[in-house]
Amino acid sequence: MQPDPTQPNTEATLSVRGLKKVYQTDGGDVEAVRNLTFDLRAGELACLVGPSGSGKTTLLKCISGLMAPTEGEVLLDGKRVTGPPKKMAVVFQEYGRSLFPWMRVRDNVELPLKNQGVPKGERDRLVDDALEAVGLSHVPRSYPWQLSGGMQQRVAIARAIAYQPEVLLMDEPFAAVDAQTRADLEDLIRVVWKKLGVTVLFVTHDIDESVYLGERVIILSSSPTVIQEDIQIDLPADRDQLNTRSLPRFTELRHHVYEQIQLAKKGHRPAAASAGETPVKGQRAG
Amino acid sequence: MRTARNIGYILGLPVLLVLVWWVSTLGSVNFFVPKPADLVETFGEVWFGDRFFSDVLPSLGRLVVGVAVAILIGVVGGVLIGSVRWLRSLLEPTLEFFRAIPPPVLVPVLMLLMGITDSMKVMVIISGCVWPVLLNTIEGVRAVDPVLSDSAHTYGISGWARVRYLVLPSASPQIMAGVRQSLSLGLILMVISEMFASSSGLGFTIVQFQRSFAIPEMWSGIVVLGLLGVAMSFIFQWAERNILRWYHGQKEVENAA
Repeated sequence: MQPDPTQPNTEATLSVRGLKKVYQTDGGDVEAVRNLTFDLRAGELACLVGPSGSGKTTLLKCISGLMAPTEGEVLLDGKRVTGPPKKMAVVFQEYGRSLFPWMRVRDNVELPLKNQGVPKGERDRLVDDALEAVGLSHVPRSYPWQLSGGMQQRVAIARAIAYQPEVLLMDEPFAAVDAQTRADLEDLIRVVWKKLGVTVLFVTHDIDESVYLGERVIILSSSPTVIQEDIQIDLPADRDQLNTRSLPRFTELRHHVYEQIQLAKKGHRPAAASAGETPVKGQRAG
Repeated sequence: MRTARNIGYILGLPVLLVLVWWVSTLGSVNFFVPKPADLVETFGEVWFGDRFFSDVLPSLGRLVVGVAVAILIGVVGGVLIGSVRWLRSLLEPTLEFFRAIPPPVLVPVLMLLMGITDSMKVMVIISGCVWPVLLNTIEGVRAVDPVLSDSAHTYGISGWARVRYLVLPSASPQIMAGVRQSLSLGLILMVISEMFASSSGLGFTIVQFQRSFAIPEMWSGIVVLGLLGVAMSFIFQWAERNILRWYHGQKEVENAA
């Protein structure tokens, strides 16, 4: 299948066009991502969910400019991404390995700004606000490893917020924290997203999480990855762990996404691989 | 109370050893084994006088300069070689060769090339001390966590900022391990570089005493070297504790979990 040749959507903040990634290994080529095309509007909160091994991390690395795609391109505000863009921040799953253990919490959050040459006064304000936003104003002098896993991930989120990105990428950020902390952090993301109006692409393997968090859920097929389905989540904007999760609509959506993931695992692939189209059910070879 | 106990631990064994020494040399007339009291007396006479300025200080100076330059070369070279893959492939086999050469054999060669000078002695110290730091730094730089590296990359931390905020701190535990080895090597090489052909320095003085059968004086020189080693080890431990506070803390947390 050829990459979608359509012109990038000019309204899109983030535009992924015909992305393909093939890893060259000693044992031969491995096609991790086959053909992905989707757009994120400014201020959108989209979740990317797929079965394990569906190339989610590969996709995220290509979007964040850490890895060059084999084919296709990623556009941020219409400009092609060739390296990590200034307007993007990434929160990784491994919180313990993404913060500098030799720096205190505050220095960790401040470092990217310092490196950008942001003046001291403004820097202090941004760092204070970010720590406040994630509820960590009380531990600026601690080292990351002195904090619990959930708090460490909050520090990583604070660092991302302080950086004032246009697009916030999150790579299964809560996969390694316990369930209760996870619920808190999910709500934190919703709050931060609403307050800052940032575009968020949240990668997860957790179906409930994707439906609870997202305004939109992009379901990936199994590897080599294409888009299985792209659905809008029509849940109320104000969400909370108890009520939203007990809404009949939540259950319906969750059910639907779950079904799609199961299909994806069985090797079902949509006939059309471009975003936004209603997938045509049908088996496709390969 | 705690300090008192710590001091007790530090001094306990030395005091015991001196006691054993004192008891076993009571009534002894062995020319080669002096009594503790004689040694203390000689020690004062020999080392708290002109010799302190003519031999001890120059030796120490060369040691400090040699080790410092070796650390600098080792860290700078290690960061470069560790970061640039083709440089590493190019240099690593050759480095193994040079590292395998015992530095003392370089003394005669360097003596011919540079003369019997201070710089020759410093050069001997550098040529031995540079390897542990260099090789450890290369390893440390290569072992930078890929996730941490990606994090820094996405926040636009590159070039010198990357070295300063990511590479150096991340490699610092290995670098310090290399420095520790270098310090003890440095002391050995300082003595050796002065034993061959020299007119001053601790190594020279000790050999001189030995050849003129000034046995208590010779022993007192060996004690000076030992004390020097202890002092260096304490300074190193203090520096290490401060530089690697985060590292030890993190390890403690990991072990407790």
